Amino acid sequence: MAEAAHAPSPAAGARHSTTGIDSRKLLMWIFLASECLFFGSLISTYLIFKGDIPFPSPAFITEHMHGGEVTGWFPADRTGPDGTEYAGVLNIPVTSASTFVLLMSSVAMVLAVFGAQNGRPKMMKLWLFATMLLGIVFLGFQVFEFHEFGAEGLNLSTNQFGASFFVLTGFHGAHVTVGVLMLGSLLVGSMRRTGLGPDSGFHVETVGLYWHFVDIVWIVIFTIIYLIPA
Amino acid sequence: MSVEGGHAAGAHQRSHPTVRQYLLIGLLLMLITVVELIASYSDIGSLLIPILIVLSAVKFAVVVAYFMHLRFEDPLLTRLFVFGFVLAGAILIALIALFWTDSAISNR
Repeated sequence: MAEAAHAPSPAAGARHSTTGIDSRKLLMWIFLASECLFFGSLISTYLIFKGDIPFPSPAFITEHMHGGEVTGWFPADRTGPDGTEYAGVLNIPVTSASTFVLLMSSVAMVLAVFGAQNGRPKMMKLWLFATMLLGIVFLGFQVFEFHEFGAEGLNLSTNQFGASFFVLTGFHGAHVTVGVLMLGSLLVGSMRRTGLGPDSGFHVETVGLYWHFVDIVWIVIFTIIYLIPA
Repeated sequence: MSVEGGHAAGAHQRSHPTVRQYLLIGLLLMLITVVELIASYSDIGSLLIPILIVLSAVKFAVVVAYFMHLRFEDPLLTRLFVFGFVLAGAILIALIALFWTDSAISNR
């Protein structure tokens, strides 16, 4: 694969603000900065609730006792004051695989941006498709995880952990879904005879910014929820 | 201020990474994730959380700098994003401090 690394030329339809930055790019970065606050609040809520999960009622224990362990209540394995064993719901190996998939989708996305900004439409289309596919695989992992948690008894209304976990990861999943739709629209647009037009590099770069942001949010979520023990 | 006169012009012309460099960065991210996983399963006591936070911060910074091209963009965009990030961190600290205090009072 030939390599050509240079700063992309300004987009044909560039709309510069008084800062000298394309106003559309500036808007995207302002949006991403505001998204930091959105996810920051959700992560804070999760951390607060995670440290203060009360033990379940006897009815819940009776209903969810499997093989001597209570499932669907705590994120990690734990022993209650009365000696009851609780099995943690988080499945780190599965989530590690989905994290790997999302990281690789970021690599695919940056290669699509490279193709778009260096006049290589075939490369752009191939990597856009790969990014979209990896995004769908990530969503598949999330659906699987939510289904497993539901089967173990954990849902939005089970306890504070369930509520904050599903809201945080659910909103992240919704962002990934929006990203997949944007990638799909780019891919469909690039199939037209005129392609994505003279601004193609800019369009792909903007969607790429969103996609990478979704990836860095997951980097934080993965560490805080899954890797740091309860 | 004209486009040419904007301070974006100089910063925007820096060379972006090559395909090979992007792949190497991807490999680095993968390796850091593997190290995180190994650390989370090993018994390293109180060092675990700082190690995981540092590794996660490195991944975050690498993606923002190289994949999102912030290293090659106008410094104004970096300031804008860092402002949002710092504000999010302040919210996190404020909320945790608030609820920790409430919990401490109710436990008296």
